[in-house]
Amino acid sequence: MNRKYARFFAIVLALTLFTALISACSKENKPAAESKAAESSGSETTPAESSSASDPAKPDISKKVELVWYLLGDSHADSPKVVEEWNKMLEKDLNTTVKLNFTTWTEWATKYNLLLTTGEKVDMIFASSWADYFKYAKQGAFLDLTDLLPTYAPQTWSTVPEQDWSEAKVDGKIFAVPATYPEFTPNGIVYREDWRKELNLPEVKDLDSIEAYMDGVKKSKSGVTPIGGSAWNEVSTLFKAITGFEAIGGDGNSVVVAKSYDNPRDIVAYPFTTEFADYAKRMKTWASKGFWSSSTLSVETAAGDLIKAGTGAVYWRNPAGAGGFITDLKKTNPEIEVAYFPFTRIQNYAVPNLSINNGMAIPKSSTNPERSLMVLDKLRNDPKYFNLMTYGFEGTHYSLNADGKTYVAPPKGVEVAQDWKKYDIAGWGWRYEPNMLKEEGSWDGFDKLTEEFKAISRPSIFQPVVLDYEPVKAEQAAVNQVFKQYGQPLMMGLVPDVDKALETYRKKLEGAGIDKVVAYVKEQAEAYYTERNIQ
Amino acid sequence: MKIRMEKATILFNVIGYLVISLLAVLCLLPFLLIITGSVSSEMEIIRDGFKLIPDQFSIDAYRAIFSDPKQIFQAYQVTILLTIAGSLLGLFFTSMAGYVLSRKEFHFRNPVAFIIYFTTLFSGGLIPWYITIVKYLGWKDSYLALLVPPMLSAWNIILMKNFMKSIPDSISESAKIDGAGEFTIYRRLILPLSIPGLATIGLFLALAYWNEWFLPNIFITTESKYPLQFLLYRILASAAVLNTNIAGNLSPDFKPPTETLKMAVAIVVTGPIVFLYPFVQRFFIKGLTIGAVKG
Repeated sequence: MNRKYARFFAIVLALTLFTALISACSKENKPAAESKAAESSGSETTPAESSSASDPAKPDISKKVELVWYLLGDSHADSPKVVEEWNKMLEKDLNTTVKLNFTTWTEWATKYNLLLTTGEKVDMIFASSWADYFKYAKQGAFLDLTDLLPTYAPQTWSTVPEQDWSEAKVDGKIFAVPATYPEFTPNGIVYREDWRKELNLPEVKDLDSIEAYMDGVKKSKSGVTPIGGSAWNEVSTLFKAITGFEAIGGDGNSVVVAKSYDNPRDIVAYPFTTEFADYAKRMKTWASKGFWSSSTLSVETAAGDLIKAGTGAVYWRNPAGAGGFITDLKKTNPEIEVAYFPFTRIQNYAVPNLSINNGMAIPKSSTNPERSLMVLDKLRNDPKYFNLMTYGFEGTHYSLNADGKTYVAPPKGVEVAQDWKKYDIAGWGWRYEPNMLKEEGSWDGFDKLTEEFKAISRPSIFQPVVLDYEPVKAEQAAVNQVFKQYGQPLMMGLVPDVDKALETYRKKLEGAGIDKVVAYVKEQAEAYYTERNIQ
Repeated sequence: MKIRMEKATILFNVIGYLVISLLAVLCLLPFLLIITGSVSSEMEIIRDGFKLIPDQFSIDAYRAIFSDPKQIFQAYQVTILLTIAGSLLGLFFTSMAGYVLSRKEFHFRNPVAFIIYFTTLFSGGLIPWYITIVKYLGWKDSYLALLVPPMLSAWNIILMKNFMKSIPDSISESAKIDGAGEFTIYRRLILPLSIPGLATIGLFLALAYWNEWFLPNIFITTESKYPLQFLLYRILASAAVLNTNIAGNLSPDFKPPTETLKMAVAIVVTGPIVFLYPFVQRFFIKGLTIGAVKG
């Protein structure tokens, strides 16, 4: 028996060594095999690069290259055809083709993380502050583009404003090409204007008039819940608007906030402020008046659907979302008239999105960063490329109006089926405003609002603070749990006694380690302010 | 001749039947709700919630799913082929492994079984696994990435091994005396005797292949290669995105799937695989006791 086992272990040992040997061999073989594969697929090799360096004005494109690009989002059924056509032009002009892949929205964060951390060959990928651009850039997932840009993307380099570049910088280096599309996405509400007129309610302009409006609607319209469905967004964003509290690092649901835009270094946990106590008391009266249902935190129905169904009156949206909703409403329920009230009118300032809210970056694993940049330069700046990729085929997906600035979809004179889907591609990353077309019949209030915001615009100083909560992970998780269990019902006025609930909430937050979380956020924010000279 | 029954027995049977049918109806109710939900009109659901019998009948949800019928049928094709090929190959390899491990002639069966079992305790984690498949095997955007990983599982092998242990050794010995080779013994004697075990594991495998959406999610980039589950799950995932901060960045045309669509997706996805159950059920019930009684 013993001898048998001894023999067994000898064999196992031999096998292990053998495997180790093989794996070592294959590791050695790997680079050779890979470079061979790269050559056979026609990639640019080092000699070609050096020759291009000798003539920086005109990069060498004699080698045919196939690039792999990733976009965050879903494709359209016709995307493969569009990309094929687009590649034909690209092959002629730059001797390049692009394989365009989409992450889709299923578990996109996991997938995005895999693409960037496993060293898979990707030549360009969508990057954004909301997809952890700052974190990934700090960790070294993206290639430093600072020196490549002037040579390989000269047009982009000169057309993107200095401020936009600086917002995309991490430690003084540029890791992504931000989209050039000044965008404001403040919070606000869409509400039924026809009911306001009918019931002779005051103009919506502040907290009191919102209350008066909902009160009037609730009293006169039976069966209507002013904020039907889930009311959390409406109520929590309104709180930030009237108190002037600003979320840090772009996490709108965090309890740690800066007390005001003018005082960015004053960072607190808002449940401990008197403002929150007052607001919670007020919301308690709102909830008991029936402005929203008692199950509002658990339902998933969007308040907008209930406006369409005739049983809701108020819906939280940002201006772009409001535009989409209003346009859609015109088609489905033309009898309903709605208006939009952005909360910036309470605050008297508007903060634009960071330029890197949407952008394109090149992962470290890219084998052809130069060519990839050249393609991006073409895509952003050549209307032929831009329109095809962004809006699809003219005549099939849209038709251009005579002014060349607006388009119609579906195209004029084309009969489409009921389920026809407008051509849409996740192309936010390469937006370049001068090349963008406007859809005819879209909501006319949008441009007016953008003008309004531009006049009161102040730079974004809270969003770029990078928070990954790594040192205070346990505390952050506990705080989140407490926030969900005690904080949300309290803010929604769904507790029997506000004072008592507030006391419990604060105690639980302290127990969960809120102090450590605040200290961590403070430290990160201070570091950022110092780096950018923000007082 | 009729057997006369006592009153108490009749009463017992009546009550028994009633209770059982009531339970059966209760089990069917949620499923019925999904079916009627999928053919209701969207506005009605928003206004009044789900009803067992909708006032307004609408097939909009199905029209939306089948708006691109080519894509859906392609996805069906991929899923069905993967399920069949994967289940058969998986059964073949699992039973071979199980058989070898169950034979007493194999000296190292226990250590080898231990090595197989050992892998269930530790996992390499997502990233190394992904690197293996994409970088070293080069299976990105290949059907192989969908076919191979779910094929063999340690748990199935151990289950198979324990089942085959219950087949008396004398059977294979007698075949050997008659001059059968090892593979003939396996094919002509062991496999037919293991049908309950094969049916159980076959069902597990088929369900795993049918329901798989994570593998295509991370490995498949060509839309025409998407299996059904993933194709439809993608529609639902867009709803989750709308509830996050990202919503502000999406184009205003981006619309969440409607309630009716969710229900219709559930029907389209579960439809065909439901028919597998009655087919394997007679083996399945017997199969569940394997290992427990005979082990």
